[in-house]
Amino acid sequence: MSIIEVTNLSKYYGKARGIEDVSFNVEEGEIFGFIGPNGAGKSTTIRLFLALIYPTSGQAKIFGKDCIEFGPEIRQQIGYLPSEVFYYDKMKVIDLLKYSASFYDRDCTQRMHELADYMELDVKRKINDLSYGNKKKVGIVQGLLHQPKLIVLDEPTSGLDPLMQQKFFSLIRDENERGATVFFSSHILDEVQRLCSRVAIIKDGGIITIEDIKTLQKDNYKKVNIVANGLDAAHFDVEGVTNLRRDDGAVQFFYKGDINVITRLISEHDIADLDIEDPTLEEIFIHYYQ
Amino acid sequence: MNIFLRELRANLKSLIIWGVIVSLFVAVGFSKFTAYEGNPELLAILDEMPPAILSAFNFEAFNLTTISGFYGVMFSYFALILSVAAVMWGSDIITKEERDKTVEFSLTLPVRRGKVVTAKTLAAAVNCIGLLLITWGAVLVGTSYFESTNSDYYQFVALTMVALFLLQMIFLAIGVFLGCTLKHYKRATSVAVAILLGTFFLSIISGMNENLAFLQYLSPFKYFDPASLLHEATFDPVFLLLTAVIVIACVAGAHFTYARRDLYI
Repeated sequence: MSIIEVTNLSKYYGKARGIEDVSFNVEEGEIFGFIGPNGAGKSTTIRLFLALIYPTSGQAKIFGKDCIEFGPEIRQQIGYLPSEVFYYDKMKVIDLLKYSASFYDRDCTQRMHELADYMELDVKRKINDLSYGNKKKVGIVQGLLHQPKLIVLDEPTSGLDPLMQQKFFSLIRDENERGATVFFSSHILDEVQRLCSRVAIIKDGGIITIEDIKTLQKDNYKKVNIVANGLDAAHFDVEGVTNLRRDDGAVQFFYKGDINVITRLISEHDIADLDIEDPTLEEIFIHYYQ
Repeated sequence: MNIFLRELRANLKSLIIWGVIVSLFVAVGFSKFTAYEGNPELLAILDEMPPAILSAFNFEAFNLTTISGFYGVMFSYFALILSVAAVMWGSDIITKEERDKTVEFSLTLPVRRGKVVTAKTLAAAVNCIGLLLITWGAVLVGTSYFESTNSDYYQFVALTMVALFLLQMIFLAIGVFLGCTLKHYKRATSVAVAILLGTFFLSIISGMNENLAFLQYLSPFKYFDPASLLHEATFDPVFLLLTAVIVIACVAGAHFTYARRDLYI
């Protein structure tokens, strides 16, 4: 079953483009990456899911129900962590969490305390006195305390130190194993790569491609780095080679095609070192954005 | 219920501040009455003033040397203060969520927007009632020392409190409506206060000239005339109806637009 179904969804802010004709599905139990640079339309898409804004045309369905019409019902099962969290400043963390929990039709007390302990959050402090990172922790606890079936993350790691990021990712993985579907929007490719099974790449308000992260990395390009003396870069300028660079006794390029062709070429040389690796998502990403 | 209670708590400080303002105003205002009470010279001075000015300050209908008359003049200022508080609470209770960017929290919770507006409006209405009770209490305490207070006076005060309550509800509804409707939330409170001051001056202008009397329909401040409350102890049914129409239209309009508009973060 598809947890999220987006069909020809468009949103304009007056004349300014938010997103245009976006369609994709997110299946139950997957961790779906949603990557693109700032201003590509990631937050617009998420705000449409949460009915903070209304679509100009098209539709988004979550759990098979329209996001606008069944908003409150759907949101019983959504946990949302925005990129920047804003809460009522004068409240204590514990009061805010209890307030949030009071909207859900189940008892969240135990899970709330578990999460707060896990994230090392001091719940007795006032929101106002918290650092940016600590506010983010409140956001994580608040977003997960009702054990949602769908977790929507909008650039969730900004402001968290590496150790907390680690804990956060393992928390998200646990939730995923428990059965939660995760929609993970980010411009940091490394974290998407670590966590997600499928990604959609969004640019200028439109989806460019949706692929398995493995396909994206494997079927496309190999990154080749050859170290040898007196190597002529032009020698490798064959079909399928791109980004050919020579750099101090080393030759680097991307290769797409039959891997045997390139290994034969390499074997003609007396080489000192050789790396053939999958490009990082970052490198693929730059390719899509050229 | 949770939204309602949270808003009450969040607005308590504001209620206390307004309560102090009203109490100070009562104390200063009625301390002036000590000079007026039973003073025939003052009446002579007032008789020499042009009628338009007397009308503008509501001096025409009241005998300023009696406590009821003096209170009748003070009523206009109570009306102004309580209405300003109401209109600001009304618009602020809605727009502060966008201003403080907390909509991304409060409206992503599983709750209908209509329910949010209702809970917030009720919380602001309770605040208004709180301020009204503070005003009433301050007036009773502040005038208890004067000898001319009698049961007619207390009845008059009670009637004006009903009038003040209806005025508060009108401006609260206008404030909520503007807060829910205006896209530029930063402007909502200033527009609301501008409307309030505009109608207040309309009420003064409409009393100055017979030909401008129709303007009274545009100014809620004219709906409840303290002079007729004092002398006849009745409300004009036309204006009561108008009050109900304004309140219902504003609250319904607020619900309708807020449920259908984009929220900006």
